[in-house]
Amino acid sequence: MGMIEWIRLLIGLSLLIIGVVIFASEIIGIFKMKYVLNRMHAAAMGDTLGLLSSLLGLMIISGLNFTTLKMVFVIAFMWFTSPVSSHLISRMETSTNESLSYYCEEMTLKEIEEEDVT
Amino acid sequence: MSRKKDDSLYQKTFSYKFFKWMKGEKDPLVGNVEMTPKKDPKEEEEETINERLREKQMMLEKIYDVENNKLILNFRKIYKFISILFCITMFAILFLNVSYLPPVGDAGNPSDNEVPVRYIEKGIEETGAVNFVSGMILDYRAFDTFGESNVLFIATITVLILLKVDSKLKKNDPEKYEKETNDRTLEPKKDPILQFCARYLMPVIVLFGICTILNGHISPGGGFSGGAIIGAGLILYLNAFGFNDTERFFIEKTYKVVCFVALTFYCLAKSYSFFTGANHLESHIPKGIPGAILSSGLILPLDICVGLVVACTMYTFYCMFRKGDY
Repeated sequence: MGMIEWIRLLIGLSLLIIGVVIFASEIIGIFKMKYVLNRMHAAAMGDTLGLLSSLLGLMIISGLNFTTLKMVFVIAFMWFTSPVSSHLISRMETSTNESLSYYCEEMTLKEIEEEDVT
Repeated sequence: MSRKKDDSLYQKTFSYKFFKWMKGEKDPLVGNVEMTPKKDPKEEEEETINERLREKQMMLEKIYDVENNKLILNFRKIYKFISILFCITMFAILFLNVSYLPPVGDAGNPSDNEVPVRYIEKGIEETGAVNFVSGMILDYRAFDTFGESNVLFIATITVLILLKVDSKLKKNDPEKYEKETNDRTLEPKKDPILQFCARYLMPVIVLFGICTILNGHISPGGGFSGGAIIGAGLILYLNAFGFNDTERFFIEKTYKVVCFVALTFYCLAKSYSFFTGANHLESHIPKGIPGAILSSGLILPLDICVGLVVACTMYTFYCMFRKGDY
């Protein structure tokens, strides 16, 4: 293997390791947190950034071929669908949880903007 | 040789915190990262838990009278002993059987007989399908697949009998019908983000399902998997746009007609093929060139039939469990 091949392999491996670390933090978050929205935040992080990073690493290792194209499709599909499902779960939670005010502060958009200014 | 640190110094070190976290005494996330719940309304006080446990114990003692009734006491002991013995015996039997299994990949194994050899050697020639699995399940063992499709059909009929709201109710008592079929009181209706997503995703999913079905005999896939994909696409569409939109193309009559036509066609076509094959008559179904889309005789139409039945079944299950009506 030449120099460039080694560099490509190292970049790919480091990206893959970053992805695995993100997945590990996602799993720790899911099992440590107790409230639905907190856990969903942790899970969504792995679904987007962890997936992107690990698949990018695999794409760099694999080179330009049909498998890489499939991975691009996987990333596109997951980034298209996973945030939507997270959004629906959180909306379901906020609209059906009767004791929501026990868990979170409810704020309107205006109040948040005022808080940011001050 | 390491010196022992003072307690006050030791409490500041990382290892002290780590071991405390390991034992579960302190959770570093609570109060820092996570929003702490003010107070869980469903959480029980310690006193009430103790009281509940004591009452349960009292009740058990009253009912079974453990101290005086020696029979129950003995029965409990013997029951424990026998259950443990039973588990150990089952373990022993299973492991004994595993040790008698033939080694993996041995030429003398009972699974390595003439049947798979025949499938591999003459499969393409006899069925015309490049995908051996399709050739097997839709040609050599087509009646088995027919039975599976009928099982799906019967399962749907059972669900319809149990869960469907009476159709006469719609005319006689519209108010009660509304009440029975009201499926979403708190759930978000017509979410714009989901609608945007479904508008672009649903055609792609359904097209992919159709592609999987039509390529069942030349590439991995087939009726069952393609039908499941189409069913998932339909369910996504229903979730995004509601029943008013799906009523335009899928009602009870659609299900009846599609399933009846698909199953009848399957039965007749395969009966013809088996009849001619068994009596050494000439079959008028062309095999075609293996690898082309229009090839392999009956496999392609049968794949379409199975796919239609599976898609309708999935969609009907979802509708019935959610609303009780299409």
